[in-house]
Parts: sequence; C-alpha cells; structure tokens
Amino acid sequence: MKTIFKAALVLTLAFACTAAYAADTLNGAGASFPYPVYSAWSFEYNKVTGVQFNYQSVGSGGGQRQITERTVDFGASDDPLMPDKLQKDKLLQFPAVIGGVVPVANLEAVKPGELKLDSDTLCKMFLGDIKRWDDEKIKKMNPGLKLPAADVTVVYRSDGSGTTAIFTNYLAQVCPAWKEKVGAGKAVKFPVGIGGKGNEGVANYVKRTRNSIGYVEFAYAKQNKLNYTQLKNKAGNFVEPGFESFEDAAETGDFDAKKDFFLWLTNAPGNKSWPVAGATFILLAKEKVDSNKKVVKFFDWSFKNGDNKAKELVYVPLPKGLKEKVRGYWKANGLQ
Amino acid sequence: MSETSKKSPMDMVFASVTGIASFSVIIFIIGILYVLINESSLAIRQFGVIQFLTSADWDPVKNSFGALTNIYGTFLTTILSMVFAIPVAIGIAIFVTEISPNALKGPIGIAIELLAAIPSIIYGMWGLFTLSPIMSNYVEPFLKKITVGLPFVNIIFQGTPMGIDILTASVILSIMIIPFTASIARDSFNLTPSVVKESAYAIGATKWEVVKNVVLPYSKLGVFGGIVLSLGRALGETMAVAFVLGNNHRITTSLLDAAATITVTLANEFAEADTDIYLSSLFYLALVLFVMSFITLAIAKFFLLKAERKYSR
Amino acid sequence: MMTHERKRRIEGIIALTFSTLAAFLGLFWLVFILGDVLIHGVKALNLNLFLNDPAPAGVDGGGLRNAFVGQLMITICATLIGVPVGVLGGTFLAEYARGRTIARIISILADIMVSVPSIVIGTFIYAVMVKPIGHFSGWAGAIALAIIMVPVVLRTTEDMLSLVPWTIREAAFALGAPYHKVITQVVYRAAATGILTGILLSIARVAGETAPLLFTSFNNAYYSLNMNQPISSLTVTIFQYAMGPYDSWHSQAWAAAFVITIFILLLTITGRLIIKWRYR
Repeated sequence: MKTIFKAALVLTLAFACTAAYAADTLNGAGASFPYPVYSAWSFEYNKVTGVQFNYQSVGSGGGQRQITERTVDFGASDDPLMPDKLQKDKLLQFPAVIGGVVPVANLEAVKPGELKLDSDTLCKMFLGDIKRWDDEKIKKMNPGLKLPAADVTVVYRSDGSGTTAIFTNYLAQVCPAWKEKVGAGKAVKFPVGIGGKGNEGVANYVKRTRNSIGYVEFAYAKQNKLNYTQLKNKAGNFVEPGFESFEDAAETGDFDAKKDFFLWLTNAPGNKSWPVAGATFILLAKEKVDSNKKVVKFFDWSFKNGDNKAKELVYVPLPKGLKEKVRGYWKANGLQ
Repeated sequence: MSETSKKSPMDMVFASVTGIASFSVIIFIIGILYVLINESSLAIRQFGVIQFLTSADWDPVKNSFGALTNIYGTFLTTILSMVFAIPVAIGIAIFVTEISPNALKGPIGIAIELLAAIPSIIYGMWGLFTLSPIMSNYVEPFLKKITVGLPFVNIIFQGTPMGIDILTASVILSIMIIPFTASIARDSFNLTPSVVKESAYAIGATKWEVVKNVVLPYSKLGVFGGIVLSLGRALGETMAVAFVLGNNHRITTSLLDAAATITVTLANEFAEADTDIYLSSLFYLALVLFVMSFITLAIAKFFLLKAERKYSR
Repeated sequence: MMTHERKRRIEGIIALTFSTLAAFLGLFWLVFILGDVLIHGVKALNLNLFLNDPAPAGVDGGGLRNAFVGQLMITICATLIGVPVGVLGGTFLAEYARGRTIARIISILADIMVSVPSIVIGTFIYAVMVKPIGHFSGWAGAIALAIIMVPVVLRTTEDMLSLVPWTIREAAFALGAPYHKVITQVVYRAAATGILTGILLSIARVAGETAPLLFTSFNNAYYSLNMNQPISSLTVTIFQYAMGPYDSWHSQAWAAAFVITIFILLLTITGRLIIKWRYR
C-alpha cells in the first residue's frame, strides 16, 4: 500500500516536471514604457489566436541586453540603437507605438495638468538646484497655485530605462548644465533623489511620497491618476500632455527604414508638440527567422486592430505611412 | 567506514553515488567562485581590485564602475540592523531561558521560529506598504525634531522623511534577523550546565546576576558566533531591503537618504545591463558579496565550533 | 540609604524587565506582520485568483493562476533534484566518511552554503544555464532553488543518521547484510522522521525565495506548464506587483503573500511538531 502510494506520488511529480504545454509562446522583455499597451494587445491577441505573447517589463536596457544575448525572442526598447550597433549585434529594429514621457508630481492642492514647468526649471529640479516647491521660479510660472513650503523629492528610474533615455535626451538638449553634469542615457547618475524600478516603480514611489516629482510614460500617469504637469515646448508654448500633443510631435519626425528607424522625437518644433515624446522599438535577432515571423505577425495584427486600444491608453498609433514603411522593412528582411 | 561492511559491487556503487552527492557542496562553492571570477574578468582587468573597491563612481553612461557605494550601503544597513537587533535578540533569549514561566516558553519559542520562517519578500512588501508610511509620517519627523540643533546627530537625520531610506531598510532587516539571532543565543544559553547555575543561586545570586555572571560569560563564544552568523545573513539579504532602499548610488551621511546595497543593485540592474563591461561589473559585485559573506560565515562557524567544543568538554 | 542588597535587587528587576519587553517586542512584530498579511490577504482572496490568469496591466480583475502553478512546479522540481542529492550526500558524511576529516570539511562548508546570499546563486545559474542555453527557463529556477536546498537537507540527514545508534547497524551486519542494504533498509527507516522534517523545512526555506528566481525562471504573464520556458512564480510576481503602481496589483500581491506565508508556516509548524513528537 505504502509503496504504491509512493510510486504514484513520484510518477505524478515526474509528470508535473516534464509536462509540456502545447501553446505557442513568444517571450519578450524590455521597456516598461509600452508595457500597458503591449499587455493589452497581447491579452486580446491571445483570445483571438491562442498565442501567448509573454512580454515582461524589465526596462529598455534589459530588452537590449537580453536580445543581444538571445535569451528572449524579441527585445523592446525606447532607446533606439544606431544602425551600426544593430549591424554588429545582428539585430533588426522597428517602431511599434509612440508615446510621451511626462513629469508627475505628488502635490496635495494641485490637480493633474495644472502645474506648469519650463525646461530650465525641470532641469534644475532634477539637478537638485531647485530644492523647494515654493521656489520663486516655480511660483512665478504658477501664480494661481498653492505650492507647499516643502522640499522636492526627486524620483528617478533605477534600472536601464528607455523612459530615462528619452527624458535625459530631452534635458541634455535643452539644458547645458544637465548635459555637462549628468548626460543622457538609459541609466544615468542622478544627482539627487530615490530610484524606483521600472515605470511601475517610479509611479508607485511618486504615489507614496508626498511632494515628490518623477517622470513616467503618460499611460502610467493616467491609469494611476498622478498629477502630470504642463511643459513649455520648443515653440515656447505651454502644452498639456495628451494624444494631440504627442501626435503633433510624432508628425514632425521622419522615420527612415534605411536607418532602422533610428530617430528621437524629443524637443519637437511643432506649435503644439509635447517636448518629451518618443517612439518605442522592437528588436529582433536576425537569425531567429521562425520566431521573428510570429512576432511580426503579432505586430501586424496590432497595427490593424490595436489602434483604438492604444488611443485609449493615450499612446499614438504609428501613422499610416509609417506602418507601411515598417511592413516594407519586414518584407525586405524576409519576415512577411 | 565500518570494517564489517561487505565489499559487494553494489556497495561500491552506492558509496560512490553518495560520495559524489556530498562532494556537490564543494563543487558548488568552487563552481560559483570560478564562474563569478570568469564572468567578471573583463571588469577585473579594467578596474583592478583596489580601484573597484574604493571608487564611488557607478556610472553606466560613462561605463565607469566602482563598488564603494554598494559596499557602503551594504555595511551601513547591516551594522544598523545589528545594532537594533542584538539587544532585542539577547533580551528574548534571556526571557525564554531564564525568566518566562514554563507555560510561555513553548509559545514564545514557536513565535520566534515562525518569525524566522516568514520569507524575506513578505518583510520587504510589508515594509513598503505598512512600515514606510509609519516611518515617514511619525518616526522620522520625530527623530528630526528631537535631534534638531544637536551637533553631529542632526546630520544623520538630515533631509526629507520619505520612508524610503536607509533607516527604514535597516529596521526591516533588523526585524528579520532578530529571531535568527535570538534562537542561536537561546541555544547557547541552554548549554550552560544547570549545576553551575544552581550553585550560583545557592550562594544567593539574583536571577540577573546569574545571567550576567554565569550564563553570559559561559555562552559568550556561542552568542558571538550567532551574531556573526546573523551578520553574514544580513549582508546577503535582498528582498527585505529592495522595496524600501531607494536605489541610490551615492554615499550620504543622512540615514533619511536612499542608498544601494550590493544585493539590491544586482536585483535591479542585473537583467538590465546593456554593455558587456556593465554586466561584468555586476558579476564582480556578486563576487565581492560572495567572498565577503563567505569569510563572515566562516568566522561565525569558527566561533560556533569553538563554543561547541568547549561545551562538550 | 540604598543598601547593596537593594541595589542588586533593583538592577535585577530593571534588567529582567528589559528582556521581558524585548520578548514582547519580538511577539509584537510577529503579530503585526502576520496580522497585516492576514487582513489584507483575506480581503483580496477570491476564487478568481486561483482560476484566472492576469489581466492586462492597469485593468482590474484577473488572477494569478499562472503564478500559483508556476511556483508549485518550480518548488516540486527543485525538491525532486535537491532532496536526493542532499539525502545521499548526508548519507556519505554520516556513514561512509563518518569521523573523517573530509566529512568534517564538507559539513562545515555545507553550513556556510546554507547562508550564502541567494542572489549570488541566481547570478551563477544565469551564467551557467540561462546564457548558454539561450533562454530563461523554469528549470534554471528549479536548479537554483535546488542548490539552496542541498546543504540544508544534507546537514539534517547527516545529523539524523548520526543519531541512529551504531548497534542497530551491527545487528544488521550480523545478519550478513551489505552496507548499502543496511543503510537503505535499516538506518533510513530509523531516521525517517528526522530526514522528513529536514526536507519539509528545506522546502519551507526555498518556497519563499525570490532573488534566485529573478534571472533564472524570470516571469510569464501566461499559464504555462513548460519548464523549458520562462515560468511565473508567486514570489517574483509579488515583487513586480508590490513595486507596481496599480491598486489591483497591490491587493493581489497581498493575497499571494498571504497564501505563500500560510503555506510556509504550515510546513514549518508541521516540521517542528514532528521533531517535538519524535525527539522529545
């Protein structure tokens, strides 16, 4: 009796360990910037096709690293790679969706979209030069707002992040002191503040820390009802983050398939352009043709069926012309 | 090996299989050491040993890496948590072995064991959701208030109370190692022969005097070993601190600032590192941590063995 | 005038009060933490949590079926790998190498291994398994946990076998049994409960590990039974969800924390009860 029981137990356990699930799985990792929209798309796609599009939001650095190491089927990054780097690591790159990075503040008496900041103030806050919320500079820009007499707590990304890359790319363009002291990249050395992991972590820390300011992809600000700010753009206008201002920034960009779509959308010149916008990219390993085709199929499906879901989360779907360019790129590389 | 054992071929097989299984421990340790050195060789060549350990520059943009901020954070949180935990742990051990009525000994003993069994991620999560708001709303403003104007002391409580800082992380870490330290201290106390204690009572010593003059001196080797062992544990703890430390690669003097430990840096950045030298530096950090905790644990084991030998005499 | 006698007594009372307070402080933390996990966890518990897979980020609803199943798979596979190695290794130390220097050295090294930072083991497995094989996998996670398990099981097995009186073995030798038969049929039987306790406690130890899984089994948003692919685990999910901004994630993290805490505490209590009952 006892031995039968034991044998049965061992068999069950052995089975549990070897059982393979027949589902089609695609594993990807990378940017947390597009995670809400990818996760929404893949949820729908799974319902329609049964394919499990497993996207793990680890950070753009993780996306680049893991696809270079070939530990995933695709990587995702908001920090576009230069064509020569892609060539060297035998990678392909195409944009999937466009979004905006927005500063978010945790201020009790301020509503979303009320606080106005210009690039210089934003830069000085993140440099730690402006330490208080009742600083003259902020006050002057926001005459009607009740700003607390409290210290500013900066929240940044602690992991290799494309959101940080877009944000610091912008700051380095508009603020010489930033360029000199900190620089631009996925993981820079922030002079002050606390670091959260992923867009998720920054949103969480900002939510939990009074009088803090951080930066997240707009979907995170919206889903979590964080106080996003207005920013003064290159044309000198204060703009609110949102679909229109992101789209306006997107329209100024000319993505080129020959350069593997390498392009920054920051500090766009349009009148209504949001200054910290960016595209997010998918990275594929050239030799993984089979899985690449499946990944491309997913994005083709999303390009056709996912626009509304993207808009709902305030991402800007790629303009029609760009979608065609991307499809051309797929064809040119034998993936469609 | 017994002389009576029969030399059957089956016996040889069984002996070798068990032998290989037990050597796996040595293989793991040497394997880990070898792999970590191998993977970090790029960073070792580039930064050397001394420079890596003493440089506070952790800058992925410039591809310049030094371990000092991580080592500083690791030591600071570990030492602070030991300062909080040791008195409490020894108090618990004294209570359980000497004071508590017999009916309470069991339940408190079990409570300590349970506290030790709770996974560290639960401590971390609880720290973020429950302890961190308490720290930022009550404890830290209070500490700031009472230390204002005091020279030196006010420096360590400078800055905004955020609840995501070295102090909160150390408190969580200390709660985590209290049961561990307490149970080793209790076991050491229990080894004091009752004859010695009874003779002390017989000459009129009070309970505290017995603890202070008989039990503590008698078990000090074991207790010390236990403390070093907890220290080794605290050095390598990841999840309990990852939630509330704030990932900051700077050396700060205030306990209300964020920091980074080796473990937290690994957890946050290991899967993210995009350049070879970055990943190699992270392996280098893991190597530093492995060597550091191995030495600490070996010291602890040395004292515990010495204590054991002393008692068994 | 304060007499010497009185001073002694007061000093004693103060010291003893402090240690009593310390004991209650320890109890206080236990009640605080467990109570918190219990209250938040029970509130968030519902059947959907076990039956559904996660909803898209930021959308309410969904469950953690993938994580519960994944955690179970990883833990079971780690046990299947770690326990035999640990038990056999412990057998070597207590039987074939009993009293030898090598047994002593391995025993000490195993004690040190028990406390080696688990995140280091995660980086080790990433280097030797994930990178060469080319992808994250449930197996990598299971092996990382097994490496943590081996020294725990090995040491308890060694101790338990050493407690079995030598005379029992001699009785079996006298019947002409070879050593391996004596060990498997007599010594193991005599030490069974002790070894079982060690196994239970080692499972409790690894079931709550997060750090070694971060770069090995990774995570998976879908229900998967394939150990060759990334697989979800409760602990990594708790890390992701608790650090995330969504309220629905937070409550699911509490629920997961509740389940895993109860599971581990039950294992621990069972283990302790067995010890108490068997080795009184």
